[in-house]
Amino acid sequence: MEGIIIALFVCLVLALVAKYLTIPAIPFYIIAGVVLGHAGLGIVASDQISSFFSDMGLIFLLFFVGLGLKVDKISENQSEVLTSGMIDLNVNMIIGFVAAYLLGFSLVEALIVAAAFYSSSTAMTVTSLIENRKLMMRESETIIWLMVFEDLVLIIVLAILSAGNENLLLFAGEILFGLALIYALAHYGKEFLISILDRDDELPIIFTFVAVVATAAFALELGVPDTLMVIALGAAFATTDPDAFEQHARPFKDVFMVIFFVFFGITINLSGNISVGVIAIICLLAIASKLISGVLTGIALYGSAKSGLEIWTNTIGRGEFSIALAVLYGSPPVAATIAVMVIVTSLVGSFVAKYYGSLSRGFGRRSRHHGPPHRVHAVH
Amino acid sequence: MALRSLNLPGVGTKYEFETDKGDTVAIFFTKTGTIQMYTLQKGCHTPSAAEMTPVEARRLGNILTGAIIEADQESVEIAFSALADLRITIHSYIIPRAIAGKTIEDLRIRAKTGTTVIAISRNDKNIINPPPSFVFETGDAVLVIGESDQLRLFEREIMVD
Repeated sequence: MEGIIIALFVCLVLALVAKYLTIPAIPFYIIAGVVLGHAGLGIVASDQISSFFSDMGLIFLLFFVGLGLKVDKISENQSEVLTSGMIDLNVNMIIGFVAAYLLGFSLVEALIVAAAFYSSSTAMTVTSLIENRKLMMRESETIIWLMVFEDLVLIIVLAILSAGNENLLLFAGEILFGLALIYALAHYGKEFLISILDRDDELPIIFTFVAVVATAAFALELGVPDTLMVIALGAAFATTDPDAFEQHARPFKDVFMVIFFVFFGITINLSGNISVGVIAIICLLAIASKLISGVLTGIALYGSAKSGLEIWTNTIGRGEFSIALAVLYGSPPVAATIAVMVIVTSLVGSFVAKYYGSLSRGFGRRSRHHGPPHRVHAVH
Repeated sequence: MALRSLNLPGVGTKYEFETDKGDTVAIFFTKTGTIQMYTLQKGCHTPSAAEMTPVEARRLGNILTGAIIEADQESVEIAFSALADLRITIHSYIIPRAIAGKTIEDLRIRAKTGTTVIAISRNDKNIINPPPSFVFETGDAVLVIGESDQLRLFEREIMVD
């Protein structure tokens, strides 16, 4: 128990520093974990309590993913979303998979590395767009829908990975049963849900917590992955009042996610049979492949590589989903690779997003006589 | 001027419109609770942005709807088109030490200026339609209603008493 308190206290201090410098806090939580834990000083070790809290963090993260999936409000420009989504998916998944496989990971490991490699951090992207005052850019809408697309792909990846070697028909049947149950409850209990949410005492918060945790427990009882069921619960609740659920679940998510990140770092084993070179190559490729997919998307949608650079600068950071994949399915070398990749890409991403504006204006000033407005071309 | 509103998943709500002259204004109510306003001049490529708290945004809204705001005193002027050009102003003042301890009746506010004190805010509590026996304290924020000439009289006659 003292371990959790020490870890949380260190994270609190780091979060203050990160907020002050307006850079994402997630990499600092992982670094704190690495320093405090197995690979570092060995002050804190994970135990039953910490892994329970970490599980809660993951479950609440996925519940939020579900809440964000409101089926009836898919964007007006579906073809645009599809184009950017498919470019992003193909470029990054393929580069990630081929690189990981060639660097010596097994097929399944390479798939997990590729999925983690593909999935940009929604939280960091949204924060970056807001804090760097980029919301008005036409590329912003593309980026925001790209994140929704990535979330959908992530759900499919989770489903594939969790099916494992089970009988696929039986597995699909169990999942469908669980989904039907959740949707039926949300549909027929809609009035009841809304009446609970409208109360201004502690009931809405207790209800939200119990609903999420009970769904996870029920899924395990049923033998279906709790990850998928919690996402489904979020999606079903999103048909009632998603904002209220977000508000009530946010405190749990915020606290448990910190424990999730720091204990992910604590359990990392850097001394395993993984070379620094492999990790470095994955990190560099992670930055480069988003550049390629960004520029291709920019050219496809806006006919401008500069638009592509805007997309790139805001989607470099990998974060919560990559770590979720590492925790759920990663072997120790995969987890270590993903940990370093998240730390490097999120820090590089936040600095690039912050200084790209002034950098491109600098370019513009120097080459003004070449004529406006597509001044900066792809820096391959 | 076509107003476009849009729900951005994970970010918040966006409102955007283009003015007759071709400039664009976009407002974002973000999920973090802040409000961002962007303006893009016609022919320009980089918008300029301002981030506001909800209170600041309301203040900006007041300015845009035509009220006058000075330091920490603000006023709203309302014109009722149905009542032949009646323009009525509501102004806020902070009670100075000089008139603390006096009542509305003592100060003969209505008789001297024609204005009416319609509300007082003291320690975050609001008193609506105070009685004539109401005693002012230093630092009370009061809302006074009247025509702009009457309010000027209020400032000269009452506030410096």
